Amino acid sequence: MEKKLKKFLSNATRVAPKISKKGELFELRNGLVSPYPQTRKDAIKKTIQQMTLGKDVSSLFPDILKNIAASDVEQKKLVYLYVMNYAETHPELCILAVNTFVSDAQDSNPLIRCMAIRTMSMIRVDKILEYVEIPLRKTLQDDNPYVRKTAVICVAKLFALNKELCQELGVLEDLVSALEDSNPMVVANAIAALSDIYETDPSVVELPKLIQQHVSQFLLALNECTEWARIVILGALAEYTAKDSLEAEQIIDRVTPHLQHVNAAVVLATIKVVIANLPKIQVNVDSPIFSKISSGLVSLMSTPPEMQYVALRNIRIILERYPLLLSRELRIFYVKFNDPLYVKLEKIDILVRLVDPCNLKQCTLLLAELKEYAMEYESEFVSKAILALSQLGVKFSEVKFVRKVLDIIVDLCQTRDSFQDDCMVAMCNLIRHTGSEQDDMITQVCSLAQVWGSTESVFQTDYAKCNYIWLLGQYSEKFSNIDKSLQVFIDSFTHEESLTQMSLLITVVKLHSVLPGAMLQNLLNLATTSTDELDVRDMAIMYWRCLSLEGENETLINELCNAQLPQVATTLDAFSPELLETLLRELSLLSSIYYKPVSTMTRYRMRTTNAVKGKQLNELQYMARDEIMKNMNEDNLLDFDGESNFAANATQPSSSVLSDINDLFDFAPVVPQHLQPQSQQPVDESIQGLSLHEKHGSAKTSQNSNTQDLLDLF
Amino acid sequence: MASCIFFCDSKGKTILSRRYRNDVPPSAIEKFPALLLEAEQESSVIPPCLTHNGVQYLFIQHNDIYVLTMSCSLSLNVAQVFSFLYKLVDVLAEYVKTVQEESIRDNFVIIYELLDEMLDFGVPQITETKMLKQYITQKSFKLIKSAKKSKNVVRPPSQLTNSVSWRPEGITYKKNEAFLDVVESINMLIAANGQVLRSEIQGKIKVKSHLSGMPDLKLGLNDKGIFTTDDSGSKMGASSKGPSIELEDIKFHQCVRLSKFENEKIITFIPPDGDFDLMNYRLSLPIKPLIWCDVKIKVHSQSRIEIHCRAKAQIKKKSAANNVEILIPVPEDADSPKFRYSHGSLKYVPEKSAILWKIKTFNGGKEYSFAAQLGLPSMNDIEVPKAKRPIEVKFQIPYFTTSGIQVRYLKVHEPKLQYQSYPWVRYITQSGDDYTIRTA
Repeated sequence: MEKKLKKFLSNATRVAPKISKKGELFELRNGLVSPYPQTRKDAIKKTIQQMTLGKDVSSLFPDILKNIAASDVEQKKLVYLYVMNYAETHPELCILAVNTFVSDAQDSNPLIRCMAIRTMSMIRVDKILEYVEIPLRKTLQDDNPYVRKTAVICVAKLFALNKELCQELGVLEDLVSALEDSNPMVVANAIAALSDIYETDPSVVELPKLIQQHVSQFLLALNECTEWARIVILGALAEYTAKDSLEAEQIIDRVTPHLQHVNAAVVLATIKVVIANLPKIQVNVDSPIFSKISSGLVSLMSTPPEMQYVALRNIRIILERYPLLLSRELRIFYVKFNDPLYVKLEKIDILVRLVDPCNLKQCTLLLAELKEYAMEYESEFVSKAILALSQLGVKFSEVKFVRKVLDIIVDLCQTRDSFQDDCMVAMCNLIRHTGSEQDDMITQVCSLAQVWGSTESVFQTDYAKCNYIWLLGQYSEKFSNIDKSLQVFIDSFTHEESLTQMSLLITVVKLHSVLPGAMLQNLLNLATTSTDELDVRDMAIMYWRCLSLEGENETLINELCNAQLPQVATTLDAFSPELLETLLRELSLLSSIYYKPVSTMTRYRMRTTNAVKGKQLNELQYMARDEIMKNMNEDNLLDFDGESNFAANATQPSSSVLSDINDLFDFAPVVPQHLQPQSQQPVDESIQGLSLHEKHGSAKTSQNSNTQDLLDLF
Repeated sequence: MASCIFFCDSKGKTILSRRYRNDVPPSAIEKFPALLLEAEQESSVIPPCLTHNGVQYLFIQHNDIYVLTMSCSLSLNVAQVFSFLYKLVDVLAEYVKTVQEESIRDNFVIIYELLDEMLDFGVPQITETKMLKQYITQKSFKLIKSAKKSKNVVRPPSQLTNSVSWRPEGITYKKNEAFLDVVESINMLIAANGQVLRSEIQGKIKVKSHLSGMPDLKLGLNDKGIFTTDDSGSKMGASSKGPSIELEDIKFHQCVRLSKFENEKIITFIPPDGDFDLMNYRLSLPIKPLIWCDVKIKVHSQSRIEIHCRAKAQIKKKSAANNVEILIPVPEDADSPKFRYSHGSLKYVPEKSAILWKIKTFNGGKEYSFAAQLGLPSMNDIEVPKAKRPIEVKFQIPYFTTSGIQVRYLKVHEPKLQYQSYPWVRYITQSGDDYTIRTA
């Protein structure tokens, strides 16, 4: 009973490391070497907390490391946590633990095997890789799939650290054979690792070929793994090119059940596979596969906003290939009042795109909805809605409908006093589409523009100004005081942007017979001398030459001025066919959000310069030792007042630390013996310096209030 | 693949971080608060992905924190990243209840452990909380326990990498029960003139399983579901004969055998232990508003605003809607409210600038009304445009599903233990997060 009680007490006693402001590290170190296991554990936790807060606790490394040998898995985990953090920033320290790693990689507990191998492959030191080889090979062949799936990823980590060595070791072959592993998670991680390696260096592994060879394994693994593994496998399947229509159909059949998965990323990955295989098979428009894709896409609209955003951007790409895919699902994309703005804007865009231009009822419905949006207050949202109105008008194209749209926009202009810019652009788009036959519409727009034109600087954006000036030139007969309106822009010519400048140039040249001659002269002068825009200047020079030509001058000018503009067929922007093709292949990737294919981006492979690369192991040990000693010195000096009671035997703990470090260094036979005394010397010196310092300090402090403490102590 | 995970506070400052790869420079995170600020100043559109200097910042917001990941590559699977970030928050919530700045600071050790287990080199690994809890034991008080019985060493459960990765073996219950909740949330957008612009039902079948061993469950739903209509099985639920309901995009928990459903239209699964969402479905059929409100707002500029509201429960006589809440927006500068009403409780909520009408039970077919008058300041500043806010309605109707879906049977089969089990089913219809009526 007593024994039990004692044991219980020793386990339960937690001498919580007190954190005084000055002596944190010291207290922690004390805690770490405490005889009570629970105190040690608490101290490790405290250390990790300090680390999280961004404090440099690397000087505690040796003390922490002593705790790694514990049989307690919890504690081991904590130590590994600490070590892994410094694996990045202080790789030279981690090398101290290499022996423990190697032995842990053979532990009977798979959890520990994993931690060891995972940590080892994260340490960015060339030399450690030599030690990695054997454990990595072993774990790659481990009985436990949990260990194998970790080891497989480690190959990719190793590759990122040292390509050449990784190839030399031949673990890449092991990685390739992992594609045939019996466990689906190992397969998925192997794919992830291979794709990562392929992305850094396509010459090392033939990923496309491997995918071709393993399709049946992938399809088999697909049904039996976690959601994340499914995403990886589906991603690989999307890269596969089916041999014939039959195979493509089979693949589609095998993946479509995953459209029902709850994870939105799985759904999107499935859609990607289906879309990649669709061109191979013969499908008509009302094939069930389309309704499946459609319902999959629609389901993504009931996910969190960030996911919706991804989905909407991808839908935009898919719609360009299959414009009528979602035309029955209009209402799903209606804007909700609590959607974030970035989702709202995408939704408006999609609404106009997915509407069926042959369906009057649907278009009218959307028109009413867009009108509602245009009455809102968020300015980006309203601008987009106004633009969408004109896009819808142009898309449906029928004159009556366009007139309705125009009426709505004119109405808007009268009730709201901002948004003239957007209305101007929208109206110009509409009349450019209907052409000059619809005189009543043109009159309507022009009279509105006339009113606006009389107040100065209504238009803010370059695009709106350019449209306004175009309108002046195109329908000059509908405006009075046209020279005045243009003069305003000529006066501010140098401040305008290039679109406005060009548009102004065209309009003034076009109307040169109506306008006073000095105006043209003035503008041409300005455009050739005081603009930085090359295009504008070239254009002005060209016009000038034409105007000053002798002979058939008139006809040439006429041709120039009265050229008929082609009718605007659509105001929705589209991708080029090549871009569309690429983007469809990159669905659900970041590139599909930006509409920029992966290949076009200059790759920033910024690797933080690896200071320790290529150094010899013994040099590293020097570095490690120096660093620890340096940190410790600073630490001690700082902590001085708080620990004067220890000053009497201050040298003792330090030297014990030193011997500890030396113990640690004894781990490998690589250390040449003759180096030992040499390395000892400077450190000893520094210790002496330190102890001198401390004695001095203790003499001082003993005179002040701390004396009392000292007395109490004795 | 994701390079790192950062938890940042509302300003974008780091609380806790884990780096998995070395391609993003460690200094990149310092730019994040500035980027956020910049984006905010430029316009009110802040997409969840920002780019700076070749580094991609992807983030979600949760309570008062940002969960952020970075990458240097455009070939990152964003869908996976966002999906994972949300999952991460879910898992953390199971460990620390509410995920916010404070709870993250308090639980850093467990969060580090989880981050290491859930993501390896940027590749998502295991996110099933029930399984993670088996070998990532939580918090300090549990640590003492495991130290005492040191023989019981934590190991990764062998099921982790099995095909049934969500259920450990050896679960036993004295009484074997399974509870099913069929919850339908109605989202509806109604124009000011009463026309229904959009209506959908978001259905969910929640399961709470208290079953021993490795039971195999089979769920049968009524005819109106998708399960009997189409024999060919190729076209899901799209049958034109009869008034059967078309459940659109059904989504299953990962435990459901998807290919079995695809081919035979049978829902079979081995459930995880405890609570989980078995399936989600969506229906976008035209339904009439269950709670209908006719609101007339008359604004007499610079003096007062009058509101007349009539609400009607358009449901069966014998059922009733509970906890009905109708939130009617009023101008921000309104004051001195005067109310006249017969039922429920009515109050002015200045912090939301709205009037809230609460009715505890609203019986089917009944119609209630109220009238309110609020004063408006006679002096008007320059009118600041505000977002137009709709009327929001909340309610719950028990014992009733709008779609008419019903659970026919839940067969439990446990090959080894052969016990008797008791399935329980409940139905409820409630308002979704978007049941709104536009104001004129």
